[in-house]
Amino acid sequence: MSIALLPRMSRITPWSVAKWTLAICIAIVAAFPIWWMFNVVFADPGQPVSLNPRLYPTSFSSGISNIQRVLTETGYLRAYYVSVAYTILTIAGVLLVSSMAAFEFALFDFPGKRILFAVVMLSLMVPMAATLIPTYLLVARLGWLNTMQGLVLPGLASAFGLFMLTQFMKSIPREMLEAARLDGASHFQLYWHVALPLSRTALVTLAILTFMKTWGNFIWPLVVSQKPEMFTVSQVVSLFNSPLSHTTVDVVMTANLLAAVPPLIFFLIFQRRIVEGIASTGSKG
Amino acid sequence: MRLTKSLPNFMMLTPFMLLFGAFFLYPILSGFGYSFFDWDGIHEPAFVGLKNYEMILNARSSRIAATNLLTYVMITVPLGVSVAFGLALLVDHFQGFWARFFRSVYFVPVVMPLFLAATIWRWIYAPNFGVLNLILGWFGFENVRFLTDPDVMLYSLIGVDVWVSAGFNMVILLAGLKDIPRHYYEAARLDGANKLQEIRYVTLPMIRPVMIFVVTYSFISALQVFDIPWLLTGSSFLDYGGRRDALLFPVMDMMGRGFGRLGFGQAAAYGFLLTLVIVAITATIFAFQRKKENG
Amino acid sequence: MTITMRPRVLWLALAGAALAGHAGAQELDYWVYSDFAQGEALELQQSFIDEFKAEHPEVEITISGRGDDDLLTGQIAGAASGTGPDVFMNSTSLGAILVEAGALKNIYEDWMAMPEEFRKQFNPDLIDMCSPEPEVMYCLPYTGYGSFMYRNLAVLKEAGIDPDAPIRDWEDWKAQMEKIEAIGKKAVPDMSQTWFSVANAYSGVAEPGEWGIDFENDKTLIEPDKLAAAAQLLVDMKPYSTGTSEDDQATKDLFMSNELAFIVGGPWINPIFEQAAENGDLEYDWVLVPGAEEGKHGGVKGFEFIGVAPKENAGISWLFAAYVAEKSQMSRWAAALGRYNSNDEALADPEVSGHPLLKITNDAAKNAIFNRPPFFVEAYPADYWSVLLDGIASIVEGDETPDEGAARIVEELDEVIAYN
Repeated sequence: MSIALLPRMSRITPWSVAKWTLAICIAIVAAFPIWWMFNVVFADPGQPVSLNPRLYPTSFSSGISNIQRVLTETGYLRAYYVSVAYTILTIAGVLLVSSMAAFEFALFDFPGKRILFAVVMLSLMVPMAATLIPTYLLVARLGWLNTMQGLVLPGLASAFGLFMLTQFMKSIPREMLEAARLDGASHFQLYWHVALPLSRTALVTLAILTFMKTWGNFIWPLVVSQKPEMFTVSQVVSLFNSPLSHTTVDVVMTANLLAAVPPLIFFLIFQRRIVEGIASTGSKG
Repeated sequence: MRLTKSLPNFMMLTPFMLLFGAFFLYPILSGFGYSFFDWDGIHEPAFVGLKNYEMILNARSSRIAATNLLTYVMITVPLGVSVAFGLALLVDHFQGFWARFFRSVYFVPVVMPLFLAATIWRWIYAPNFGVLNLILGWFGFENVRFLTDPDVMLYSLIGVDVWVSAGFNMVILLAGLKDIPRHYYEAARLDGANKLQEIRYVTLPMIRPVMIFVVTYSFISALQVFDIPWLLTGSSFLDYGGRRDALLFPVMDMMGRGFGRLGFGQAAAYGFLLTLVIVAITATIFAFQRKKENG
Repeated sequence: MTITMRPRVLWLALAGAALAGHAGAQELDYWVYSDFAQGEALELQQSFIDEFKAEHPEVEITISGRGDDDLLTGQIAGAASGTGPDVFMNSTSLGAILVEAGALKNIYEDWMAMPEEFRKQFNPDLIDMCSPEPEVMYCLPYTGYGSFMYRNLAVLKEAGIDPDAPIRDWEDWKAQMEKIEAIGKKAVPDMSQTWFSVANAYSGVAEPGEWGIDFENDKTLIEPDKLAAAAQLLVDMKPYSTGTSEDDQATKDLFMSNELAFIVGGPWINPIFEQAAENGDLEYDWVLVPGAEEGKHGGVKGFEFIGVAPKENAGISWLFAAYVAEKSQMSRWAAALGRYNSNDEALADPEVSGHPLLKITNDAAKNAIFNRPPFFVEAYPADYWSVLLDGIASIVEGDETPDEGAARIVEELDEVIAYN
């Protein structure tokens, strides 16, 4: 770190010392578990924790062979593929479906608008627990257990997404829509060529939030995907962690680490958007 | 005539509304219906009236789950929000690079899916040779059985919970802090207020709406706690809740009744009861806030 | 960026995903315990599958391994929704619950259609167990186990214990634990955490008829005095224990890194120890589970069956089940892994009977209690095991004395059974 980055603390007061100590200690607590997970993977598996507490990585080659083992000898890659497909389809679906609806709710008047919107907003209060079992039964009856549509479709009508995009699209100037309409744009074209490009920021935020929620979803895949071909990363990780999985800690942690990689990369790239997205949902909600 | 004019509008709404109807409204209504039936998912459902509700309200497991939940919520919500508020104040006292740096580091746990947070912490909490016990041992502490001592398990869960959620709430609160005009603080300082008084008389009142959002959101997610205790205890549909059911919570109990014992009617009734509680709490918080604003 | 994805492309993607999820009628899902789907066991199972496919090229068979509870709930929920496995194994102790859930097809006719030469390979007692009524048969006996105790020899030597001197009784065992504790290592996992390890402790003092449920009289067969003695052992062992259960990965890591001396468990743990021993990292052996008095030994035994779901492809599923349980497959299985099975002719094969793991399994089975008897009679009440384990936990935590606690547990178990 360069000197220029250090804050201009011309005076070292007890208060500033306390502030820095506290901030650094908390940073360690926040980051340690992830750091430790990484170290377990990159350590010699034979060493007991009492001799090597894994406070820093000690064996690069063990880490590589752990990763190779998990990727080649278990169903991890397939689970990765399922999770990626599940996540991408969910993001695409949520964005499309809720932006279409938000476009109408934000910019037009039609009979029944207020009631429809109110019903959808009320659903924000209803916990997942209430719908989980009946949705499972419905999906089972449709014959969609262990299918991609069974995983994806029930999660597409996101009331949260609709709310967020509606709030955002309300700020689109009506004159722009009028102008486009005078140029002969159809209703759908207004949505596709005017409203969507103008809502870019909100869409990206929603995409990121949906990504985090879907990649981390544990309970829905747990009930819907019972066949190994349709296991998601969350399930495979929990299988590795289950007491009777007959694996060792380094393999378990490798499975954990690989599951953490996509969200961590996502965070590093979209850091500002993620943080601002969450902050704005809070202040608007 | 008006309806034909609105046809394009409705066409655009159709995908969302169809999905919403099929995967939200229908399940809610059918779940309410199932809750009056004894149904294992295989044989014909049999109407049993309120028996499912009665069984849940009288069962030993649901009483334990409710007690655990109450203790958990009473600790984790205030603690989690206070920690988040503390972090927000702390980060707010840094500028530029370091403010962004600490904000990002504190936020990293939020990016971890819950299932990962739980599986990592299960190892950190391991008894005797686990890394946390090892570190505690350096300071002369006795071995703590974080995940098998029934008196400690709940606090172990809360630890993970705060670790995961603090950064999320901090970011929201931080945005609220940034919106407070600086001259309010200057005015307070001119009146002779110290730091604590500033927080008490300027910060807290100004971020009240944001704070209410954070508290409500924390309540709603705490009441539905599932992933972390499920994985910390290595639960399955047949055996869940950990030693002496110290980490048994209502959603877990509901899942066990549904999938472990094929009591889908009971599970539906359970879900409905939970919904009532959550909606009641949310409504109370909102009503309380209204009253304060109007009064 | 996904935003620019045209709707047409999206719908195509969704439709593609829908097609991919559709399963044909000749695709068999074969579910096994997770230790059957790992390492050498998996290789062998996969070669059984390949051989079967060579004869039946129209069939696709996918093997998948699951932990005990996931295996059962998947089979039950699968029976309810019609998406469960086609061929699967499970413990005979869970036969009754699977029959109730409609997960098992009556294979009596298929069985009788097999040649006599095939049928006489199997242990007749186990065939009876699979056939609770005349002309009803729910399963084919498959594999089995007995429990024993793994010992880390490096830890024993370091603690000054002679591994060749047999452990006489519980007192002797505890004396060894004390020596192990003295060198800063752990002696045992926390044996109060799972029903399996509690049963292993209890079996050191009880007789085979004193475990399980008497469904005719709605009573547990557990003897309160003997349960109290076992609970006392668990209390005494607490200071020497790792705090993790015997099937926790952390426990096995401790054993393999020479931090833990004993693990009471089944043959399913052996592969990772064997691997570590081959790499020169571990020196271990196995002995019978110590009993309370000299001459007495503990142990738990159980059997697994292979069953067929009542679905449209049950015919081919049965052929596959019969193929894997047949003598030539089971003798390869037993010879390679030393795992017990229910095919008597396979076990009599001289190449098989010499395997040390099989020998300890057989020795253990002589004294052992059954895991959850009786089989294929009635399902255990849902709360039975949690009442037992919660009770044991409260004794070990010191909330009750072993005598009080054991008496209360037995009383509560009777109530749970009667309420059922």
